[in-house]
Amino acid sequence: MAANTLNDNVTMPASWRAKAPLLLAIGLCGVLVSLGLFHFGSSPENEATGFRMFFHSYLANYIYCLSFCLGALFFVLVQHVVRAGWSATVRRVAELLAYTIPFWAVLFAPILVAVFTNHGHLYEWSKGAGEIPAIVEMKLDYLNPGWFLFRAVVYFAIWCVAARLYFRMSREQDETGSTEITLKLQRWAGPFIIMFALALNFAAFDWVMSTDAEWYSTIFGVYIFAAGMLSFFAVMILTCYMMQRNGRMEKYVNTEHYHDLAKFQFGFIVFWSYIAFSQFLLYWYANIPEETLWYKHRLDLSTGWRPLAYLLIALHFAVPFLGTLPRAVRRNKNLLAGWACFILVVHWLDMTFLVMPNVGPASFMMLLGHFVCWIGMVSIFLAFFMYRVGETPMVATRDPWLPDSLAYQQMPM
Amino acid sequence: MSTIASNKVIDNTIDTPGRRTTLVTGNQTYGSITHMVSRISEEAQPLAWWVTFILAVPTLGMFGALIVYLFLTGVGVWGNMSPVFWAWPIVNFVFWVGIGHAGTLISAILFLFRQNWRTGINRAAEAMTIFAVVCAGTFPGIHVGRAWLAFWLTPYPSLNLWMWPQFRSPLLWDVFAVGTYASVSLVFWYMGMIPDLATFRDRSTSKFRRLVYGILSLGWSGSSRHWMRYEKAYSLLAALATPLVLSVHTVVSFDFAVSQLPGWHTTIFPPYFVAGAIFSGFGMVVTLLVPVRAIYNLKDVITLRHLDNMNKIILATGSLVGLAYATEFFMAWYSKNPYEVFTFINRAFGPYWWAYWIMVSCNVISPQLFWFKFFRTNTIAMWIVSIFVNIGMWFERFVITVTSLSRDFLPASWGYFSPTWVDIGMLVGSFGLFFTLFSLFCRYLPIVAMAEVKGVMSQHAHAEHRHDHSHGASH
Amino acid sequence: MSDHKPEKKAKPPRAFGWVAEYADDNKLLEAARKVRDSGYTRTDAFTPFPVHGIDEALGIKATVLPWFTLCAGATGTCIALIMQWWMNAFDYPYIISGKPFASWPAFIPVAFELTILFAAYTTVIAMLGLNGLPKFSNPMFTNPKFDRATDDRFFLWVDSRDKYFNTEKVKSLLESTGPISVDEVREDDSPSEIPKMIFSAGLALILLALVPGAIVLRMRAARSDQPRWQVFFDMDFQPKKKPQQTTTLFADKRVQRPPVPGTVARGELELADPYYLGYDPDKTAALEATEATRMVAFNAQDGAAAAAAAPSANQAAAPAPAGAAGEPNYAWLTEAPIEATEELFALGKKKFETNCAVCHGYAGYGDGLVSQRATNLAQGYWLQPTSMHEDRIQKQSVGRIYYTVTNGKGKMAGYASSLTPRERWAVVLYVRALQRSQNASIEDVPEPKRAELSSK
Repeated sequence: MAANTLNDNVTMPASWRAKAPLLLAIGLCGVLVSLGLFHFGSSPENEATGFRMFFHSYLANYIYCLSFCLGALFFVLVQHVVRAGWSATVRRVAELLAYTIPFWAVLFAPILVAVFTNHGHLYEWSKGAGEIPAIVEMKLDYLNPGWFLFRAVVYFAIWCVAARLYFRMSREQDETGSTEITLKLQRWAGPFIIMFALALNFAAFDWVMSTDAEWYSTIFGVYIFAAGMLSFFAVMILTCYMMQRNGRMEKYVNTEHYHDLAKFQFGFIVFWSYIAFSQFLLYWYANIPEETLWYKHRLDLSTGWRPLAYLLIALHFAVPFLGTLPRAVRRNKNLLAGWACFILVVHWLDMTFLVMPNVGPASFMMLLGHFVCWIGMVSIFLAFFMYRVGETPMVATRDPWLPDSLAYQQMPM
Repeated sequence: MSTIASNKVIDNTIDTPGRRTTLVTGNQTYGSITHMVSRISEEAQPLAWWVTFILAVPTLGMFGALIVYLFLTGVGVWGNMSPVFWAWPIVNFVFWVGIGHAGTLISAILFLFRQNWRTGINRAAEAMTIFAVVCAGTFPGIHVGRAWLAFWLTPYPSLNLWMWPQFRSPLLWDVFAVGTYASVSLVFWYMGMIPDLATFRDRSTSKFRRLVYGILSLGWSGSSRHWMRYEKAYSLLAALATPLVLSVHTVVSFDFAVSQLPGWHTTIFPPYFVAGAIFSGFGMVVTLLVPVRAIYNLKDVITLRHLDNMNKIILATGSLVGLAYATEFFMAWYSKNPYEVFTFINRAFGPYWWAYWIMVSCNVISPQLFWFKFFRTNTIAMWIVSIFVNIGMWFERFVITVTSLSRDFLPASWGYFSPTWVDIGMLVGSFGLFFTLFSLFCRYLPIVAMAEVKGVMSQHAHAEHRHDHSHGASH
Repeated sequence: MSDHKPEKKAKPPRAFGWVAEYADDNKLLEAARKVRDSGYTRTDAFTPFPVHGIDEALGIKATVLPWFTLCAGATGTCIALIMQWWMNAFDYPYIISGKPFASWPAFIPVAFELTILFAAYTTVIAMLGLNGLPKFSNPMFTNPKFDRATDDRFFLWVDSRDKYFNTEKVKSLLESTGPISVDEVREDDSPSEIPKMIFSAGLALILLALVPGAIVLRMRAARSDQPRWQVFFDMDFQPKKKPQQTTTLFADKRVQRPPVPGTVARGELELADPYYLGYDPDKTAALEATEATRMVAFNAQDGAAAAAAAPSANQAAAPAPAGAAGEPNYAWLTEAPIEATEELFALGKKKFETNCAVCHGYAGYGDGLVSQRATNLAQGYWLQPTSMHEDRIQKQSVGRIYYTVTNGKGKMAGYASSLTPRERWAVVLYVRALQRSQNASIEDVPEPKRAELSSK
């Protein structure tokens, strides 16, 4: 069959790896340049000082990258817990993505700086008692720097242990081909999912929701999860596509896998919209001031963020929903790669929408700085990913499910 | 070959990575599957069926009598009071609608996820869905006070009222959601049955049976062109029904969550209600199928693997529900909103503390037993846990509805709700309706999707063939 | 499949080709491929379950079904949105829970449900339509072996209308594929007429079903002398009294019962405490009873009788303290139920100057800034705020002033919502102090200070 002529190479092109230091440098420069831009564009009357904008922008872009790495971790765990066969060819990509989480733990440092310098650049509560609204002051028993640090350590510990375990064991299977490893990973997936869910839920509250410490929403963790899973599938599709364009993984990832990934991506477009709509509808309908304030910052004409909200409805739901609905699109990897890029852009808009309006009204310099910071953070992500991949095969070639995965065909219609 | 399942239960829950275990045990053939399922409606019913039916019908009669009594006397016969205006009937409604989720979920979502094990259980689960939705629909229907005017909810040009329904109300969304869900589930169930009804038709020996099943099966011939469109329609319906399942309980949760009442107004309600609904639905499927499987000797198509998988879903959704409880509690504390804080403390330690702890122990703690394989594969143990799940989920709705209402913002109007005998009689009566319908279903309709099971058998045979082939090649 | 309809008046049973029976799906697939490769296109397979790969083996093309679903779904969305907008924002707009008439977020759930409803039903109906179902007569069904097509046998059929069809060749081709049997498909020659009885029974059922509707329509259109039919008599005529009605059950004939003396309703503690009221409610109740009786009598009887009853009621009552017309007849507190301290004085001054002085003036002469402004605008109808130093006000008891502060008087609004009872008492005492200060004589000044004053 045609498979014989396909390339069996499953390692990343060496030329990509060689670019990792350059990307890292670009990334760091981008982040620093954005700080400069923010400083230049700061307007003290809006309290939107350079540092305030910078830290918010950093957080938004940080969560942007971290969310799909967490999505990758969840994907790996779920594939094991349900004994999935179809995903055996692409699971290694997710394992590698997830295993960049330890790097992200290091990049959490600037957020800790913002917390421990007590200027409230990022979190109002970090200023401590006396300078903050009474209701936030009451929350200091939860939102205080020491306890925040402790929780962050716990979250990262859970994720890093899981990511490392699933990556190392899968690598071990590359050597031994032992099915015992699969069984072991399947057994551990359940408990890890529970810990993962708790950590993600509370991390979303701690890191993102508490940028507006007066506001709260119980669905917030699910929202971040939905956004992360969606962008993860986009990253996955794009990674496979780029590898295949360079003649890698050709033998392993076929149209059926793209189709499945696209279906998941489509599903999470709908799921994200469902969660976002539920949160909005409940707060809009009940119309309780302390809850609608969050939306007022984002929907009030005076703040300049309203167009972003409409953009999200259009670009994060309607357009990709209709765009990836046809079966033909889902089975065409070129189109699919285009949609994956699209999703990764709107995911950035989404994270911007969550975090940036807390700084104040939108301004050109703010958006410019935020954009530069995004470019920087994505470069850092790419560098991390390439360091992490190194010479590791991008397919778990001795996974017991691999034959099943390769043989699978969707319903022919 | 007409070997009916042996009494020996084969444990097909042992995993071999890379190889799917068989979902049909006991060396069954296509013909023996047909016979195993068809004989249920062709032969005399076993004693257990008669016992169920004879218990269920008078209970249904009691339900009818109580509804008549309610209509003639008014809703005062219920325990609903100020401030708990919304009590027992809405609890029953949400309880039954929740149960009505597993059927379409198994058919639709598991179909999309290509979980072949759904085929053994989906038919019975879908039937359960329809009957549970019928039970659920009864309660809003009778609780409007003047039930004969319930049609006012439909948007029709009325010459009397000169007005339209209020589409900004979640209760009207509910009418549309439950109505759509009931009718789409019904058509999904029926469409899935057409090939099996044709099997009944072709096996029937009496002219009457042939006529009835012939009409019901619409002249199905099994043509491949028909199958192709049928499968396409089935997958489209699955894709439509999946968000529909989620939307129904989401809208039910909106009934509560769009209000401003602490304990109701929280954004996690939509996914949390959906998880709870799936949880209770699977609980009920296990409750029904463990006996059905034993009574009709269907151990070879509803295997331990099926039960094991369902129990895992119960564990997962039960833990999700637990996570939602925890999130709600945390957020009440975190928000520092005194009303929220009070509501949640009141739930756990107020006058309804017993209901709350029944809920937690049944919904969150009891499914944790399913971490152990013994409980997942022992039918008696899982049956008991599934009963606990049913109880717990009823109490969940009770806790949400009653505790929040009984102690609202105005302490002067606080009260304590107690059900009347009519309330309790109606809950019991709705089970009579449910079991009457379910036993009639077992008696007259194919309780296992034969065609789908055969499809899975064929698929498995091909996979095994491929597996052996590749193994042979590598050695 | 659907293009194939048996002719009505064919005399001998027509042959529709050949059908071969197989024991398993692999055999069927092989045979189907073979038949396809032999060039036959008018073929079909009949299987108990959808056989994977048969579409390709028979050359079946994809269906247009998804387009039906898509169009129906879009129709559902549009209909739902237009319907909700038209009904709630256009044809019958009314305000509910402060939401806009066109509440698009609130319209989404119903729009979603109708999308699914339309799409799902269209899918099923279109599937049946494209398959030509229901179709109860099928030439295949004439062969008793075919009953196993829904059980465990697999059939392959070559239609006689295929352009390469040749009976012998097809038969031998099918026989070469290892079937269990090969049979000729014959037309279903069983009577195709539907028994007349079914029509008459159907007609009777339809007519019967119309009866209830006809009765309802008739009743709606016709007039009747009969009283309305009370489905629920006790719901329409409830044995209860509504507010403001009379009853013979109590001596005072009032339906609304005053609280039992000496009791306090839950949450109404403040209504029993002179500190909150400025008067003693129990004593007042004793004064008021006569008035209440008069009002009830007035309501119960016609006006003339009430007028006649009124004087006698008044005579029977204890003589109430004389008051101005419209003045409430209460047992006012004459002493403030709070200790006058310097701190309280400061509080009263602060609150007076914040809340009262804009109209009444800092010294209480009714010449506050609002009053001055209104007078300057020459608004003839401007009524000067009351001066605290009027004789009438000076004579008022503290309880009466407290009552005014709490409940307002004339154009002045009550201050119960902005001042706590303690603050109100502080204001009252401050007013007293003002009155004293503005109407003082030299005797009011303490002895040591007099000299100081006279020196100035």
